[in-house]
Formats: sequence, C-alpha cells, structure tokens
Amino acid sequence: MTDLLLFQLRRVGRNRQYLFFTVLLPALFTIFFTKVIGGQVPAGDYQDVAAATMISMMAYGAIGAALGATIRLAFDRSSGWLRQLRVTPVPTGAVLGVDVLVGAALVLPSLVVVALVGRFVNGVQFGSGTWLALVAVLWAGSVVFVGFGLAVGLLLDAQAAGAAIGILGTVLAALGGLWFPVETFPAGMVGLAHAMPSYWYAELGRDVAAGTPSVLPVLMLIGYGVVFAIAALLAAQRRPLHAVAG
Amino acid sequence: MPPTPALEMEGLTVRYGDTIAVDGLDLRIEPGETVALLGPNGAGKSSTVNAALGLFRPAGGRVLLRGRAPAEAIRAGGVGAMLQHGGLPSECRVGEVLALVRRRYEMPWPVEDLVVTAGIDGLLDRKVDALSGGQRQRVLLALALAGAPPLLLLDEPTAAMDVEARQSFWTTMRSLAGRGHTVVFATHHLEEADAIADRVVVISAGRVVADGSAASIKSRVAGRSIRFRCAGPREDLPGLPGVTAVGGDDERVELTTSDVEATLRALLAGPRSLPDLEVRGATLEQAFLHLIDRSGAIR
Repeated sequence: MTDLLLFQLRRVGRNRQYLFFTVLLPALFTIFFTKVIGGQVPAGDYQDVAAATMISMMAYGAIGAALGATIRLAFDRSSGWLRQLRVTPVPTGAVLGVDVLVGAALVLPSLVVVALVGRFVNGVQFGSGTWLALVAVLWAGSVVFVGFGLAVGLLLDAQAAGAAIGILGTVLAALGGLWFPVETFPAGMVGLAHAMPSYWYAELGRDVAAGTPSVLPVLMLIGYGVVFAIAALLAAQRRPLHAVAG
Repeated sequence: MPPTPALEMEGLTVRYGDTIAVDGLDLRIEPGETVALLGPNGAGKSSTVNAALGLFRPAGGRVLLRGRAPAEAIRAGGVGAMLQHGGLPSECRVGEVLALVRRRYEMPWPVEDLVVTAGIDGLLDRKVDALSGGQRQRVLLALALAGAPPLLLLDEPTAAMDVEARQSFWTTMRSLAGRGHTVVFATHHLEEADAIADRVVVISAGRVVADGSAASIKSRVAGRSIRFRCAGPREDLPGLPGVTAVGGDDERVELTTSDVEATLRALLAGPRSLPDLEVRGATLEQAFLHLIDRSGAIR
C-alpha cells in the first residue's frame, strides 16, 4: 500500500492549482487580513486579531486541502483509472484507504505554512505547547472534511466534482466565519454559521489557542464526521468504485 | 484430468434494469485458444467481457477464469485485461503507472521487453495527460501485459487505433498467442476476427449464435453487393474474384459477390476509378441479422 500512497501523494503534489489554493492562498490571506484588520484596531487588540485570523486561515487551508485531495476520487473514477485498477491485482479497497491518508497528509503543509506565516510574519505569540496543540488538534479535526470530500467525490461525476472543490471550500469558509469573523455577521446569519462544520472546526482551534478547551466543538465535529462517513459508505455502495458512470 | 479451462461461463445472464444484455450464455475456452467474440454493437460482447472480469455481478449463471472466481483470478495475477472504458490516472508519468502495476505481480513481464512488445518505447517519461489516443491505448495494453498473464481479455482493443496501430497491435497479439497465451477479444470487425482468431464466437442479443472457425463463419454471411459509377468497359468485372453476378444500369454497376474483401481488393488494385463506391448488405449488422435468422430457424 506504501507504493500506492506515494503514487497518489506525488500526483496531488504536482498539481500547482491544488498547492496554490491550499497553501499559498491561505498564507497570503493570513498576511492580508491581518494587515487590513489589524491596522484598524487598537494596538492592544492586535495579538487577538492576528491569532484569530491565522487560526481561521489554518482552518480554511486545511479544509481546502482535505476536500481537494479526496474529491479527486471522482476524476479517477470518470477517467476509468479505478476501473482499470480493478483488473489488476491492486486491491480496489486500498484506493479508498489511500485517498483518506493522502487527504490527511496534505492537510499538514497547509496548517504548518499558515502557522509559520502567523508566527514569523504577523508576530503571533503562543507558547510552544500551544503551537503544537493547535496544529495537532486542527490536523485531527480535518478528518471530518476528508470524510466530507470522500462522500462528495463518490457521489459526483468529474465535472460536478471539479466545481464542487471550489464551491464547497468557499461556502464553508464564507458562511463558517473564516474570512469574516462571525461577530461581524448580521444576526440572521449567525445561526447559519453555527450550522457549518467549518465554524466548529475553527472554534476548536480558537479554544486551544485561548487555553479554554470545550466539549461542544468536539461533539459537533464528531456528529458531522459520522454523517459524512455514513454518506460516503452509502455512496460507495450505491455505485461501486469501478463503475464508470450512472 | 482435463486441463482447467481458461474461461468457463455457464448460463451467464446480465441485466440492466429490464434490459437483458446477456441471456444465459455458455462458453468454454481452453488454454492457448485465440477467440474472437464477434457481434454488432449492443450484442452483449462488452457485458460478457465485463462480467467475466467481475466488474459487475451477473443476474445469473457463473463465470470461472482459470478455475477461479474472476476477482480471485485477477488478484492471483493470472489475468490481464483491456477495457473499453479503462483509463489512466492524470498528473503522472507513464513509467510510474507501469511500475505501480508491475510491482503487484510476482513474475512481472521484464520491463525492457514489455516496453517493446506494447510499443511504448520512449513513452515512459511522458506525462499521461500528453499522450495521443493511440499511445494511451498502447499504455493500457502494457498494463494488461504487465504481469505476463496467461489469459488476456480484450474488449474492443483497437477501437481508438488508426490502421497502422491496429496492424502492429494484432501482430503483438499473434505473437502472444504463439507463445501460448490465451487471447479472448471482443470486436465488431469481421476482418479482425478473421485475421487473428482461430475460433470465432458470434454473439447476438446476448446469446451465442455461431461458434466455429473464421472461415466457417464468413461463409455464412456472404452474398453482398458492390456498386459504383462506371462509364467505361466492363468486360473484366465477371472475372473478378468472388463476383457471382454483374448488374446495374448505364450509369452504375452492381456486383454481387461472395467475398466482398477479395472483390474490393481486385477492384482497388485495378486501373479503374470507383466514384460513389458503395458496399451494400455488407454492414455487419445486416450480416448478423442474417445469422440470427438462420439460428432462429435452426432453433
């Protein structure tokens, strides 16, 4: 399975668009938002703004990486590659497993790069334990979006999947308060934000950074994770991996 | 004990909703045979091949490849296949795909020889996304051959190939058959079946309607006509190979022939230009209808 894992990692790693949207863009947003918003608040609030922005962008990058790496499954199905693999001794089940691992692995660069930008460009100050916990918790939590991406990749054909990668990442980020904090949302939109897994994902990070861990984000994310896992299982059963279309 | 058949189907039935694609098909192919599954589009050839490979579960009947269930036989490395809707992964090089698949076999085909046999010499460093249709098809052939499998199942393998590629493909297949590989291929080209297979199984409406040597099948679909505009002399026409009657009018000639290919060859080799050339009754659909009628009468 290691060879299949490396094979898949290399493929995604070569995709410049993927690297741009999951690593470079969140890093640039981190700098941009911090400069814009950080410049408008009293100097005493800068740390909070810079930290919150960084955590939001870590979440944004991680969600994009997890979705992008897994929704691609739809491309491999549409191209006939999964069907081709089915007539070789490469076990088809391993393909799903590998895509989960690839999704999880590729989240890490997004998280680390944005964190480095936060620390060294924007001057976010945390203890080293907090830094480690922040990256670890967001890495673990990203499995929810790996599940989401798998379900979507199994359900959609290639064309719809291509659009979904961009749209889902944008919707989750915008409505979940990753681009603009939920505190700035009109009252009616706050409820919607709270229905987004992305909100709870970022909340998980904010809790760690503030040193006030709470149970609610964890429960919400587990709930979403279970729903996505069931959806992925149902989708895989409805249409086998090697089916080309329909 | 008789040798285990390379492929064995008993009462294979494949349904898509209410449509029956394969209707209780029985087929037994011995090791070393080269067999064409010949039939018009929609005859059930692909469904037969796909069911043989375990790509979907048949509604009824059973399939054994080399004495095992399809998935098991494939996992054991004894089967290679080219699919009609098979494909290659994006964002990687040909050599990487080939290496990934070759590693799964205990005794993979030596890569230097495989590259030459499949005709992908010089393509290993090429990006998959940059391949032409014919090159893709040859890479898919290389994947099918990667494990040097004793049994090859090919579903319309030459569909995306030009004439030259087709010829070299079938040369490869002939040499594989010569080395003792069992080659089973679906096609709707009578000529391919004729040139390659030592046994032709004609499939129509999901059933076997004829099973025998290429020559015996051909003799059953003979009797077609060739038409073209012809202003000049016609004395030579009755003497052309295969021609059984010469008709037509002042403007057009109509030749009835028992061997369209031979007649056409002779015509094309001759000095005459052949404006508005038409071969009628020569579509395989019609030929197969003819076969089905016959078998219907026999039944």
